[in-house]
Amino acid sequence: MIKVTRLSKSYHSGRGERQVLCNVSLYVAPGGTLAVMGKSGSGKTTLLNCIGGLEQPDIGRINCLGVDLHTLSRRELSSFQRKKMGFIFQSANLLSYLTVFENIAFPLVLNHLEKEKRVAELLEKVGLPGAGSAMPHELSGGETQRIAFARAIAHRPEMLLADEPTANLDTETGQTLVEWMFTMCKEEGCAIILSTHDFDLMTLSDKTITLLDGKIIHENDNKKN
Amino acid sequence: MFFWIKTASHFLLRSWRSTGLITVMVVSAVSSLIFLSSLAMGVNDTMIKNAVSLFSGHISGINIPENITEKEFLTHGVAGVLKRIYTPGFLYHGDSMEMVRLISVNPDKEIQFTAMAKKIIKGRYLEAHKNEIILSQTTAERLNSQPGDHIRFSTGKNSADVELIVAGIYKTGIDQFDRGVSFCTMGVIPVRSMPWQAAIFLDNGVNKDLIAANYRQRKTEGMDFKTWSDLMPDLEQLISLNYLSMGIVIIMVFMVVSFGIACAFSIFILRDIREYGIMKVMGITPMETAFLIFSEVIIINLLASSMGVMMGTAAVLLFQNIGINLSAYTSHNQYFIVSGVIFPRLTPFSIWLPPASALLFSIPAALWPTLFVIKKSPADILRSI
Repeated sequence: MIKVTRLSKSYHSGRGERQVLCNVSLYVAPGGTLAVMGKSGSGKTTLLNCIGGLEQPDIGRINCLGVDLHTLSRRELSSFQRKKMGFIFQSANLLSYLTVFENIAFPLVLNHLEKEKRVAELLEKVGLPGAGSAMPHELSGGETQRIAFARAIAHRPEMLLADEPTANLDTETGQTLVEWMFTMCKEEGCAIILSTHDFDLMTLSDKTITLLDGKIIHENDNKKN
Repeated sequence: MFFWIKTASHFLLRSWRSTGLITVMVVSAVSSLIFLSSLAMGVNDTMIKNAVSLFSGHISGINIPENITEKEFLTHGVAGVLKRIYTPGFLYHGDSMEMVRLISVNPDKEIQFTAMAKKIIKGRYLEAHKNEIILSQTTAERLNSQPGDHIRFSTGKNSADVELIVAGIYKTGIDQFDRGVSFCTMGVIPVRSMPWQAAIFLDNGVNKDLIAANYRQRKTEGMDFKTWSDLMPDLEQLISLNYLSMGIVIIMVFMVVSFGIACAFSIFILRDIREYGIMKVMGITPMETAFLIFSEVIIINLLASSMGVMMGTAAVLLFQNIGINLSAYTSHNQYFIVSGVIFPRLTPFSIWLPPASALLFSIPAALWPTLFVIKKSPADILRSI
């Protein structure tokens, strides 16, 4: 369960203060999926960063899996992130000095989990069984995101935050990747919050919210419709 | 812990270009400083060697009674004892006369331990059992004498003149030897109950002060022992000054080099900030971040410093055998009068100080970027790249 209550966030810059999120509230059920839609600069990334504990909101409360993030110390937050969360970004996803195998195994080692079998299983699932020894720069954009996804769910997190994972991919590759993500997360019982520009992807999620200038302007329950 | 060290090694190996660059920087800094400090030791060694090997030895024994022989001074660490007898008197050649202190020496032993024979500019050095004398260039000019000339020596105390053949003319460049002193073969001048002087030469690395103190314990009235630093306080000061100035130079060079190393390490760490940002997103703790960064810094330092020590040591060992000839720059300096060839010498200090300093400076250098990475939120890091 992910519950965000009255979340606001602003940035201070040379151009003054800019409100990025304003009074945002949302709820994602355990194992549920949410698509966050909106134009560039609407606050999607900031919302995901706040939910993932990567940055602090100014006001508001985030409860992830029963834990209020603001009550956690830095160390406890790191521990929570490494055990319970998985992240995928638009780019800059893989550790460039580690092989594909080492990248996927990284969260497993952090969580003291078995790695050989799990990495092999994930590589098989993302359709890159022979890519373990490859370096990230040897992969295509689509392959990089598949490996990033495999790494994000390697330690069986309870929630996955994906910030425009398909932005740098062609439509077909992006669609396939997201379909995989949703299928595999369903199998693993992992909730997904996905930000995207792509309206085709929103149909895959249980719920959709649309942000404009940091405010939710539209909320849709795809299951009901 | 092993995982972080392994990850740090992967980071270093797979970013081999920057690792290589920083390694070259540390290697050259460490090896240069080892060589520089060894060179400073070599310069001091050469000055001492030159000063003692020209004539005086490491320890000078003064007013030694005739009944004490050279053998009595041959203790452990003593390479040789040269007996000398000083006889003041007058040299005559034709109408010319010169007052000198004539020093009777054993030519074979002198050649073995001193460099006077190398200072002959005309003729040759003394030979044993011959009535020979060598004159300084100044004395020879005043007596208008050349090698092969017969000259007379008189103590002026109603004693008979002794006729000597001029074997050679020398020039040391040091007033103490070039004015008012001449050398002749031992036994040529008849002396009665004259105390003698000793030039005591020590083996390499033997503490002169300990040997001199040992001699002083058994000294009789009038007899004394002085080390080269007692006799040449100017050289002692010069060596201290050399240590000080070399120390300052080394510290300054190291400060500059360390600043370079510090900057390189900062750039090296901040270059990988994206990687640390991604790892922070995956939940690595500040402690683990610091451990990873410091592992990288320590691994690269240990590796580069070891290579630097090996290269520096190899360079010192090479020049320790062949020497560095600085004669062109030292020919008018009395402490390089015998030889201007410098033989760098390694000391434990010169081996451990540069790598220890490299490590010492790189750790605080890594502190700032580490704190920067730890304090910066992963969102800020990923947004900035």
